[in-house]
Amino acid sequence: MNRRISETLELRDLEDGRKICCRGCGRPIAAAGTSWKPHAAFSAVAVATQPGAPSAVHPDVVHRRFSCPACGKLLDCETALPDDPFLDDVVSP
Amino acid sequence: MDPITFSIIRHRLFRVVEEAVITLKHVSGSAITNEGHDLMVSLYRADGSLLMGGVGFLHHLTSAAEACKAIIRRFAGQIHEGDIYLLNDPYTAALHTSDIYLIAPIHHQGTLVAWSACFVHVYDIGAMNPGGFAPDALDIFSEGFSSPGLKLVDRGELRQDVWDTLLNMVRNPEMVALDMRSMIACNNVAKDRMLALIAKYGAETVDAACRTLIEQSETLLRHRLRELPNGRWQSRQYLEVKGEIAKVVLTMTKQEDNLVFDFTGSSPQSKYSLNCTKWASLGGLFAPLFPLLCYDITWNEGVIRPITMIAPEGTIVNCTRPAPVSVATVGAIQSVNNAACATIGKLLAASERYAEEATAIWHANHFAIFMFGRNQRGGDAIGILTETFAGAGGARSFGDGVDIGGEIPNPISRMANVETMEATFPIRYLFRRRMKDSGGAGKFRGGTGGELAIVPHDSPDGGLHYVISGKGSKFPMSDGLSGGMAGAANDYVWVHAPGETHNMDRFAQSLDSIPGEREPISWGVYPLMGNDALYVRWNGGGGVGDPLDRVPEAVRRDVEEGIVSAEAAREIYGVVIAGTHLDLAATEALRSRLRAARLVAEAAE
Repeated sequence: MNRRISETLELRDLEDGRKICCRGCGRPIAAAGTSWKPHAAFSAVAVATQPGAPSAVHPDVVHRRFSCPACGKLLDCETALPDDPFLDDVVSP
Repeated sequence: MDPITFSIIRHRLFRVVEEAVITLKHVSGSAITNEGHDLMVSLYRADGSLLMGGVGFLHHLTSAAEACKAIIRRFAGQIHEGDIYLLNDPYTAALHTSDIYLIAPIHHQGTLVAWSACFVHVYDIGAMNPGGFAPDALDIFSEGFSSPGLKLVDRGELRQDVWDTLLNMVRNPEMVALDMRSMIACNNVAKDRMLALIAKYGAETVDAACRTLIEQSETLLRHRLRELPNGRWQSRQYLEVKGEIAKVVLTMTKQEDNLVFDFTGSSPQSKYSLNCTKWASLGGLFAPLFPLLCYDITWNEGVIRPITMIAPEGTIVNCTRPAPVSVATVGAIQSVNNAACATIGKLLAASERYAEEATAIWHANHFAIFMFGRNQRGGDAIGILTETFAGAGGARSFGDGVDIGGEIPNPISRMANVETMEATFPIRYLFRRRMKDSGGAGKFRGGTGGELAIVPHDSPDGGLHYVISGKGSKFPMSDGLSGGMAGAANDYVWVHAPGETHNMDRFAQSLDSIPGEREPISWGVYPLMGNDALYVRWNGGGGVGDPLDRVPEAVRRDVEEGIVSAEAAREIYGVVIAGTHLDLAATEALRSRLRAARLVAEAAE
């Protein structure tokens, strides 16, 4: 049975175990109960280049974008400086 | 106890708090209280534990409980009917010195049965800078009058020596006196209504109802927590002062019916006054927890029991004396608010049942801009730009955030109208409106923040000055949820033109059209004199979901209304608008290209 763990991710029981999957296309991304972000398609865009950014915004701060490797759906987004680790959200299976 | 009597008493307790809030507003003369609703009233049990949390800034509910307990310890054996106590020391319980708690014991037939506590941000507290936020302060000693507890009213009689001492240390003592009297009146009303309740139902019945109410809240919250998934969620907030970057890092762990908020990893305490103390952090995490997890549960001690906070000593969220903290409420405390809101939002979004309660972060970056000087009538004036309370709603899992829609930690926050501000200070607004591209992009867009510009007007001194502080303008802070992006960051610009320069456009309608040299500012004291102008924009709420999933017509409407630019529509939302019409075929093609581009991006690891 599928069980959501966010607006964009859900747990699914597959042949090779319980997986974190994209809610858009069902693509398995990582094993349930683990950190999924390292397995997503990743890009970072400088906040300063975004429409609406004020001139004083820090030049190094980025929007990190984690997308489904299959359908490209944006799964999560976080604001970060380059040296900081990914925010690690783990839902118990 | 029969459930009907219990329910009546529960509602009467809520109404006691409501009436006390109304009293506070009616007596106080400060815009920050009447207009911004920077206030709080709550009821506490005889031992100081929270009984009925009221509205206003919710991070005070638990701090005022600690204030009650501090008074109980300090004045053991000396607490009498008719007393009122003052406490505003942040290292004892308060959030910062200018948020004064007045705490009144409620006695029935000689027995202490409850406490009433309230606060307002007083007009001034005698800190280095007018208004209480003191960016120039180096330590708590330069942040004004501070007391870990004193008796202000003794058995119904005002202690004139204490009263005069306090007013002798502040600017505009008449206005501070009015603030103090508003809190005395508020506590008197709360006490009278509590005693009326006891007179009607009996002390034992009311006490039993209060005990049951706390047990009920604990039971309900623990039940809700068990319904939610176990796991751990993280959030991070960046703050910046004069080039110094600090972080508030939170890991929230939910296991069965317990919730742990762990701030390990947060930055060491700062030399600047945006730090907060342990009690302030505790209040800071409860401010979003009360409305998001306990929207149908009475806010009291029972809600506090399942919650644990870990805040390492010596960090920005648990600083040690004498670190300065006067900017805490718009500094580290609000970052704690934001971080807790983000992790609770993720927890709710992980639940089938409670997904619709999930939210992105609302208005995440207060700005404290206190103007001071002589007003157009020659009198002294100190006061805040109340737009900081206007806020912006975070998007929800089912809809957009409300534009300029307030904030989570204060359900009744609002801003004064322009005319009130122009009547109070020698200023004129050039414009005040929603800010384009400020709402975080997402399937559901964050509510917009706003922008404004003011110039001096009709001042006997050619203008006035202002103190500005906060968390800076370097970082977006209203994080999105599940692919939603953060709302745009704040911005503060001092536009200064030399005195001899004739300001050609006194009705400028944008920052670009205000003549003069622009200087980004965010911390310190600055003039608004002569041809100066001050431009301020405040952040929007975070978005929820993938912006490429937003209904194209909603994007077109946002563009038409001027709250999303055509550039953002195309680049972030993948929506093509030809003239005023949607080009759906081109939109679908563009969105496909943007999604494909994400796939060729680098792997996260």
